[in-house]
Amino acid sequence: MITIKNLKKSFRTEEVETLALNNVNLTVEEGEFAAIMGPSGCGKSTLLNIIGMLDNPTEGSYNFAGHEVAGLKESQRTQLRKGNLGFVFQSFNLIDELTVYENVELPLIYLKMSKAERKQKVREVLERMKIAHREKHFPQQLSGGQQQRVAISRAVVTNPKLILADEPTGNLDSKNGIEVMNLLTELNQEGATIVMVTHSDRDSHYAHRVINLFDGQIVTESKNRAVGAAL
Amino acid sequence: MLKNHFKIAWRNLLKNKGYSLINIGGLAIGMAVALLIGLWIEDELTYNDYFKHKDQIAQIYQNQTWNGNVGTGPALPRPLEKALRNQYADNFTHIVMSSWEDTQYLEYKDTKIQRDGNFMQAGAPEMLDLQILQGEKNGINDPNSIMLGESTAKALFGDEDPIGKIVDFNSAYPVTVTAVYADIPFNNSFNSMQFLASWEKYVSERQWVQNAENSWGNNSFQVFVQLADNLTMEQVTTKIIDIKKEANEDTREFNPELFLHPMKNWYLYGNFEDGKAAGGRITYVRMFGIIGIIVLLLACINFMNLSTARSEKRAKEVGIRKSIGSQRGQLISQFLGESFLITLFAFVMAIGLVFISLDGFNELARKEVAFPWNNPIFWVVSALFILFTTLLSGSYPALYLSSFKPVEVLKGTFVSRKKGVGPRQILVVIQFTASVAFIIGTLIVLQQINHTKNRPVGYEREGLIQIPAFSSDFYGKQDLLREEFKKTGAVLEVATSSAPTTSIWSNRSGFTWDGKPQDLQEDVAWTEVSVEYAQTLNLNVIEGRDFSREFASDSTAILINKTAVKHMGLTNPVGTIIREEDPDPEDPDPTILKIIGVVDDVIAQSPYEPVKQGWYVFNTDPYYSYLNLRLNPEKSATENLAAIERVFLEHFPDLPFNYQFVDEQYARKFRAEERVASLAGIFTALAIFISCLGLLGLASFVAEQRTKEIGVRKVLGASILNVWNMLSKDFVRLVIISCLIAVPIAYFLMSRWLQDYTYRIDISIWTFLMAGLGALAITLLTVSFQAIKAARTNPVKSLRTE
Repeated sequence: MITIKNLKKSFRTEEVETLALNNVNLTVEEGEFAAIMGPSGCGKSTLLNIIGMLDNPTEGSYNFAGHEVAGLKESQRTQLRKGNLGFVFQSFNLIDELTVYENVELPLIYLKMSKAERKQKVREVLERMKIAHREKHFPQQLSGGQQQRVAISRAVVTNPKLILADEPTGNLDSKNGIEVMNLLTELNQEGATIVMVTHSDRDSHYAHRVINLFDGQIVTESKNRAVGAAL
Repeated sequence: MLKNHFKIAWRNLLKNKGYSLINIGGLAIGMAVALLIGLWIEDELTYNDYFKHKDQIAQIYQNQTWNGNVGTGPALPRPLEKALRNQYADNFTHIVMSSWEDTQYLEYKDTKIQRDGNFMQAGAPEMLDLQILQGEKNGINDPNSIMLGESTAKALFGDEDPIGKIVDFNSAYPVTVTAVYADIPFNNSFNSMQFLASWEKYVSERQWVQNAENSWGNNSFQVFVQLADNLTMEQVTTKIIDIKKEANEDTREFNPELFLHPMKNWYLYGNFEDGKAAGGRITYVRMFGIIGIIVLLLACINFMNLSTARSEKRAKEVGIRKSIGSQRGQLISQFLGESFLITLFAFVMAIGLVFISLDGFNELARKEVAFPWNNPIFWVVSALFILFTTLLSGSYPALYLSSFKPVEVLKGTFVSRKKGVGPRQILVVIQFTASVAFIIGTLIVLQQINHTKNRPVGYEREGLIQIPAFSSDFYGKQDLLREEFKKTGAVLEVATSSAPTTSIWSNRSGFTWDGKPQDLQEDVAWTEVSVEYAQTLNLNVIEGRDFSREFASDSTAILINKTAVKHMGLTNPVGTIIREEDPDPEDPDPTILKIIGVVDDVIAQSPYEPVKQGWYVFNTDPYYSYLNLRLNPEKSATENLAAIERVFLEHFPDLPFNYQFVDEQYARKFRAEERVASLAGIFTALAIFISCLGLLGLASFVAEQRTKEIGVRKVLGASILNVWNMLSKDFVRLVIISCLIAVPIAYFLMSRWLQDYTYRIDISIWTFLMAGLGALAITLLTVSFQAIKAARTNPVKSLRTE
């Protein structure tokens, strides 16, 4: 599903140019659950942003499900992203002024889905994430774990091919963290491809494969024997 | 999608009530100002719309050249009528000779009232398309008939049917009421024409008018015309331009040229310079139009500044929406939708504000503007206005906010200051440039008015009243009245005059005297007065002597003013004999005048212009226009007036006792300028208020943004004063820049405005300093409120919020 070849990303400020990613080659198969690990500043999030089409690479090629993404304009990237990709952030990134229901509904609105269809889909996913009873609440009225469940609901409501998770348990206690990881595993088992950036060894064990990044380069790749082995 | 956008917008409004209030309130005030000015302009532009034939009606004007200066006016000679009717009749649907508007007494049974009206030829009612309520449209065909305005008919007859009733006209002759017409609405020419009487009667009742029948030199009448349908003003003007020159040799030296002044231009384009149209009230229409747009712009700038200043709060939302799949276009329309919502609220509030302030505004602007609730055009224009304001205020924030990169805002590396501050500073500078320029403009207008008000008028205007004496009842009674009034002790002196002190009603030429400069085309203001005129006015005789009852020869004596001495080229004015240049050989008694004294210049016309050369001629006729009374300063005005009224009613039991204070009449000369000054003052205050609202919002954001910095600084030992200084400095700098831009602009514009006044102030540097310091003080006051609040926050608290 994802093929990345000789990818480079550099940031330029007035004085210095920093190379965030250097010659990254990576393939992620459909249905795979991959974890990206590495110390702060190693380029994990930059890589995730490029995979998520929020950012463009400086050099190299990125092929997503048969489309070359590198060099696309923002509007073209948005078009490709819509409905194909779901994001889960460390800080949840829910819109404070919208209720749980409205937050989850948002991506469907951008897909121009009818109201009835939206209602059905949102209800379904909220039931599934066990947060339906909170649908009229605003994000600030929920606990961290509940907020992340809402965020995951929003990420998966469009049935995306790829879910990108940026330290999804980073702001959660361990109980809620495990719950969220179980949810992601479930989604993966149902067919979603997941790429997750994490600091946590525990979380990385949920993945099929762990990619270690250091100073913008992939240093090791290791396969976990069985999913959920850490349990 | 739309619903979702409005939901967010609505919740954002509720969440930030303070900012919403500043935003909506500021915009509402701006829109209210724009609406009021819009209504005012509409009213100005629709002047004379009452007249169906507006586009075909014109008044004939005349250019004449005196000593190289072209004068333009509507006063025309009587023989012009015949010339028009004989040679050019097919150019006109109507040719109407008219008197000037005149005050007359109308009496029916026990009711006697004083009303203004005109004497016109029979075509007038049809030309003006008067709305006949009762009676016949051609109501002045018969010389002994009169048409009355509705309110006049009501005042005279009450509930009686006026048609066919006989009215005693000016105590001189009876006329029959033939029609009642609807009062002409305020917003039109002839709106004070309360009766319409027959021109033929006007002629037959007045010897001097009959004498003028063939005199091309006596310019004392008005001519209105309605063009034939297929002709334009220009076409007809070309035909009539030289009529007078061709018909009459004597007046050729003044190069008289006739032209049509179209009715649609009477009100807004009433000024002439060098014989050419030179604007008029349209200047004020344009000026206020610009002010309205600027005030609205200031309010929109507030909106832009506050929206973009709050960008951090909205940045996250933008990032999320983009990562979920929102296109930039969708975000732009979302933010424009929010602007629309706010603009809509502001508009509703603005309508409320306009509704509340309309009466006060009308009084101030001397208007009768009604709120056009049921005018569909108004609502269409309003919808466009809302759309325009939405785009004006919402475009920049929408473009700015929707440009955020999701990677940056979601990672928290987003810093809006760098990007947002440049344009925001420019916008603040625009706001304060406009405000400071407004302050300077208002100050200069006020200074000019005060300067002119303090100009010496040449006589003592306080404690002087004038009683109009147009009725024939007054004729010949001047000496008797003088004695009787003086006997009461309420007045010190009484004199008659042929014109009010504050006006010139007659100009003459055609005289000669020894030493008259060869090329001089003399043109003097002519006022006929009684012996004690100078004493009554406290007018100084600076050379020679005043009129005196001791000298029988004073019946041919005149006083001239200082300017006249110069105009006539006299070195020893006293004793100079003045003769008619071409006396009528049949006149047994040609005018011979002898200058006996020189008096101070009296400001009778515009206080902004030099005083015109004037002659005060000893009045030998039994009739006069005004009685002037010098009140006894040792008694109260009420007491004096009561005593005067008693004497008045003793002699004229049928006449209403009308009088005017001369100082009040004089003050009227400043009305137009004062109206401009007070309107400009109010709009300036609102502009400043709006700008300060924006500044207040902006300052609070800056303080909020720098909470952590302030905390750190305080921990390191910064005092409240240091913090205040740090936060205020930026704004003060912007205001100073604004002043530097505003000063030359204001100087340029106001110098041009002052050019229109011959008697004017010099613009002083103090005006600019005062305006600048004022703006600075207001800024500091506004910003300090937030700065001190931020500076006083406990640093522990502000650091913990991180």
